[in-house]
Amino acid sequence: MGRSWSRMSLSRVFMMWEMAHRLVLRRLWTLSVNDIRCLPTSTASVASSCYSTSLQSSTTRVSFLSPSRSLPRALPHTSRREVSFNVQDSEDFTERVINSELPVLVDFHAQWCGPCKILGPRLEKAVAKQKGRVAMAKVDIDDHTDLAIEYGVSAVPTVIAMRGGDVVDHFVGIKDDDELDSFVSKVIGQ
Amino acid sequence: ERATPSSCGKNDYDLLVIGGGSGGLACSKEGEVFTDETECISLCLTGTKWGLGGTCVNVGCIPKKLMHQAALLGTAVKDAKMYGWQIPDTVSHDWPTMAEAVHNHVKSLNWGHRVQLQDKKVKYMNLKGSLVDEHTVRGLSKAGKETILTAKNIVIATGGRPKYPTNIPGAAEHGITSDDIFWLKKSPGKTLVVGASYVALECAGFLKGIGLDTTVMVRSIALRGFDQQMAGLVTDYMEAHGTRFAWKSVPNRVDKLSSGALQVTWTDTQTGSEHKDTFDSVLWAVGRAPETKALGLDKLGVQLNKETGKIVVGPDESTSVPNIYAFGDIGEGRPELTPTAIKAGKLLARRLAGQSTELMNYDNVPTTVFTPLEYSCVGLSEEEAEKRHGKDGIEIYHAFYKPLEFTVAERDASQCYIKVVCEQGGTGKILGLHFTGPNAGEVAQGFAVGFQCGATYSHLIQTVGIHPTCAEEVVKVHITKRSG
Repeated sequence: MGRSWSRMSLSRVFMMWEMAHRLVLRRLWTLSVNDIRCLPTSTASVASSCYSTSLQSSTTRVSFLSPSRSLPRALPHTSRREVSFNVQDSEDFTERVINSELPVLVDFHAQWCGPCKILGPRLEKAVAKQKGRVAMAKVDIDDHTDLAIEYGVSAVPTVIAMRGGDVVDHFVGIKDDDELDSFVSKVIGQ
Repeated sequence: ERATPSSCGKNDYDLLVIGGGSGGLACSKEGEVFTDETECISLCLTGTKWGLGGTCVNVGCIPKKLMHQAALLGTAVKDAKMYGWQIPDTVSHDWPTMAEAVHNHVKSLNWGHRVQLQDKKVKYMNLKGSLVDEHTVRGLSKAGKETILTAKNIVIATGGRPKYPTNIPGAAEHGITSDDIFWLKKSPGKTLVVGASYVALECAGFLKGIGLDTTVMVRSIALRGFDQQMAGLVTDYMEAHGTRFAWKSVPNRVDKLSSGALQVTWTDTQTGSEHKDTFDSVLWAVGRAPETKALGLDKLGVQLNKETGKIVVGPDESTSVPNIYAFGDIGEGRPELTPTAIKAGKLLARRLAGQSTELMNYDNVPTTVFTPLEYSCVGLSEEEAEKRHGKDGIEIYHAFYKPLEFTVAERDASQCYIKVVCEQGGTGKILGLHFTGPNAGEVAQGFAVGFQCGATYSHLIQTVGIHPTCAEEVVKVHITKRSG
């Protein structure tokens, strides 16, 4: 951020302030959902989600806080329009997920997770059906551990639905095509 | 981010743990007991390239046991033919498939530990820690950025690393250690394992088990510190099943040939003759040592054992410097085992929080060597019992046995053996229990409970056996060594 403020256009100044504010808000959010259990699994093929069985997984208290946003979204962004993409880093996440005009499904997955490999393509299919009305961001939790921890990811796959920077819904484990279609529709419809 | 000074006194943290292995994680997670008010609880620093979990998860117990299982399954597939399964004559093993599966599981454990730290409100920083003074730690990031942290109590649980021989040309350049073997993408091929510790024998065991040409080079004795009769049975089994042993031999040099193969020259110290052979891989399993220099302990006057480099610790894991504690593999005289590190870490955290005064009990720790023929034990070896009680002060009951499963499979059970070392006379208290056979660890765990309760020989034979099992042979031992 080496430029002096006077040389930037007013719209750009506002955009940078908005991004900074959003980053602060993101840090304050904690995810907790009451009564959702991440069950330890014994085999990847049988189970719907992956978690180490040698660790006792206590009930993960994951609930949603949706802080009210007072920022007006009057200014247009030039956000990229790929429907499905891999998140590169924290800034990429902020720009393409938090600041996305579209609702975004964030697919937290891992290389070592069998069920993730099944859910991934299914989710892409459900997203593709919506013809650009929803985007999908893929986050490898080993590459982006801090981000995954920040969003309270415990077992994988975990899918979080975001609209306007807020978490509006989520699920853990595999869903079939019909369940995914209705999940995605609900996210868009809100 | 630092916690507000007012909530923890003048230090950032109540408990700062350096080390993210079995011990470090257990200790910092137990730090929950300090207070649930502020974040001023515990912090865990790790400085390796591995994920959380330390030696056990990344390059020890976990990948070892999984690869041992891979090898056992190879034997099971051969046995299966005798039980009626229609299996092709040659069954081969694919290293990359096994490696990928093992790596995936290890990574899932790395992640699981990360989540647990988060759940237990343990602050985690991926920094290499070193001591500045008795309340200050410097954490260095991979990029070289420095962070200074202060804590009321500092706990060192950084464990050990495999040693490379220092006097053998080519050892470091061409050889690998246990840190590497579990993460090879391609098969190690024809392998020379130098060493006869349990690490050496377990690695040689699974390498041979998956079909690789394997040689073990032993300088003096195998499984030093363990009951030597039992150690002999373990190595006899390995030799009978195709592992080559170069006894009483020491390597002189390792050269890389133009073919890429490694040529090793060694001396048979009994005859003085020199030998050489080529291998695809050379695995050094010649001992482990802590990296205490990097911790900066000498500056603070933390007393180390000159020979081993390990930290001298008291029964409460304290070091020579107040407020600095050390436990796990890095503690001098401590068993190099995950369960003892975990338990000691938890008890230490509770004591530091003022919640308990209980010390770790390092006696009666059961253990298992996962060689092709597994060996489990709890208590004293025959040699140690003899030393403490005299030959006439002990009575040894023993038996060879044949697992039922070996009969149909026509497998050799010559080394399947049980030995119970008891006090002579009196109650006949069990001093040591030794078992070689399949699932030795599973067999011994229950007996370890009896041992902990002070079981005697009469308790043992009063217990009805479960039939048909190998374990029942333990409660049936009645022939004494004395009877010849």
